[in-house]
Amino acid sequence: MVPYFEFQNAVKLLCGELSLERIAIELELMGASRPLMLSDAVLTKIGTLATVIKAMESEGVEPAATFTDIPVDSSLAVVNRIASFYREQGCDSIVAVGGGSVIDTAKGVRLVLSQNKQDILSLSGLDNLVRGKHVPFIVVPTTAGTGSECTGVAVIRNDSNGVKMEFLSPYVEPDAAVIDPRMTAGLPPKATATTGMDALVHAIEACTCQQANPLSSAYGTAAIRAIVENVEEATRNGSNKQARFAMALASTMAGISFSNSMVGAVHAIGHALGGVCHVPHAVAMTILLPHVMRYNLSHCGQAYAALLPWLVGMDAAMATPAEKRAEAAIDAVAALGRRLRDICGIPLTLKDAGVAPETFAHVAEVAVNDGALIVNPRAADEAQVIEILKAAY
Amino acid sequence: MMRCIQALVVAIVLRVVHAALIELRELDSRVAKEFERMPEGLSYAIRTGHNGPSLYVQWDGRELKRLAALAAPSCALRIKSMPLSFQLFTGQMGLAQAYARHAFTMGGEVADVMRLARLVNLVEGYLFPKIMTRRIMTDVPETEVCFLRAYARIALGFLTGKYKLSK
Repeated sequence: MVPYFEFQNAVKLLCGELSLERIAIELELMGASRPLMLSDAVLTKIGTLATVIKAMESEGVEPAATFTDIPVDSSLAVVNRIASFYREQGCDSIVAVGGGSVIDTAKGVRLVLSQNKQDILSLSGLDNLVRGKHVPFIVVPTTAGTGSECTGVAVIRNDSNGVKMEFLSPYVEPDAAVIDPRMTAGLPPKATATTGMDALVHAIEACTCQQANPLSSAYGTAAIRAIVENVEEATRNGSNKQARFAMALASTMAGISFSNSMVGAVHAIGHALGGVCHVPHAVAMTILLPHVMRYNLSHCGQAYAALLPWLVGMDAAMATPAEKRAEAAIDAVAALGRRLRDICGIPLTLKDAGVAPETFAHVAEVAVNDGALIVNPRAADEAQVIEILKAAY
Repeated sequence: MMRCIQALVVAIVLRVVHAALIELRELDSRVAKEFERMPEGLSYAIRTGHNGPSLYVQWDGRELKRLAALAAPSCALRIKSMPLSFQLFTGQMGLAQAYARHAFTMGGEVADVMRLARLVNLVEGYLFPKIMTRRIMTDVPETEVCFLRAYARIALGFLTGKYKLSK
């Protein structure tokens, strides 16, 4: 039997130098002239948003309105508020400048507008939406980690219960994503390291979960190699444009990969840690990855072994006995985390991230309800999630 | 003809799944725990293929009622075709595999599908032999009581009209 799979990536990628200056023409080609700019307070303060707006204005497109009050952990209420703001201001398109929270919020706003709804809560689900009205939508990622610029999912917190909700639909994908090396140039070392590890988690989970397919794995393995080769240099020397650009592309490739094959338990538990304990997503991913890989080892050893050449290079992989390659892959991931910690001091344990063991039961209860767990190579109940959390503590 | 047979089988299995959930709530502590945590009023609509058989159930805090229809279910699953529905409800494909193969669409919260997936996995552990469940699940849950006891209670329930439609 030939296994069934689906693969979609309809996002136009504008990559490389002077990409920002092409946003204006892309909007024009989509018939838009009054974009709503979305970003956050930090990017506004450090001038990143201004750089994008200046590039757009230089080519003749001025924002109709700007909204920068998007919190780190955005929520359904924020999405609904921005959608109302968009309508009040008479905007005709969206340009989102930011990391995962800003981009996912923008995806939610676009969904509400294109489906002509007032409340995004009514749109939650999986592949259940019909194509709505086209709202031109461009994203400019400012971290190299989430890959959200190329994924068909938006993860947004529900204020009423603290749970991160998933909106899965091809219609949340942006029309275009701008990968400009200027956007990640000022990313601090810790954020560079943890968002790089976030991208690595995307790629590894995409290649090893139950929904992995040949096309998603092609993107995933390419992303793994690029991350391993560049994340330390990008963290150590943020002004290295080649390393920064390679990381940005790796993040995008990892995003395309997991958008077409899902993720797994690292994300399920990480989402819960974010919702319950407010651990930043990339930090949770960094901490959990080797522990979840060890948990999964009995069920996907071959898949991990197949990743070893991408993690350590072909020569080193071939020098490792076949029966040791899966464990060597996990060791390589753990060692990369330790090297990044030595460079910039990122936390590698839940204790260092300020998580109290008393929260583990609640985290586990939330984690088993996360959609990412359904395709994890190994099933996990609450007791097993608690064991993973204890190992990561 | 084949589609009609598949639809008939799916209709029967949907009824059995509903019955099994009711009985296993009393026989299996994990199923009971899932119902304890289930929000009152939570409802599922499971539709199969184009105009195929459906199952509408709602948890009212005391029992899992089977309904003729649901205007606004909390969680609405639609299996994309009858052959896929047949595979799913005859132990040829697990719910996780169905997800991985894009076999269904879902409206509602993903958390409610996860709840259903755990329940269906437990039910399948009783209804299908291990030789089948090992192929469709990464980890087959152990049964807490003999599967024959579950079958016997379900058969008795059908004979006594226990699972009839609620109003």
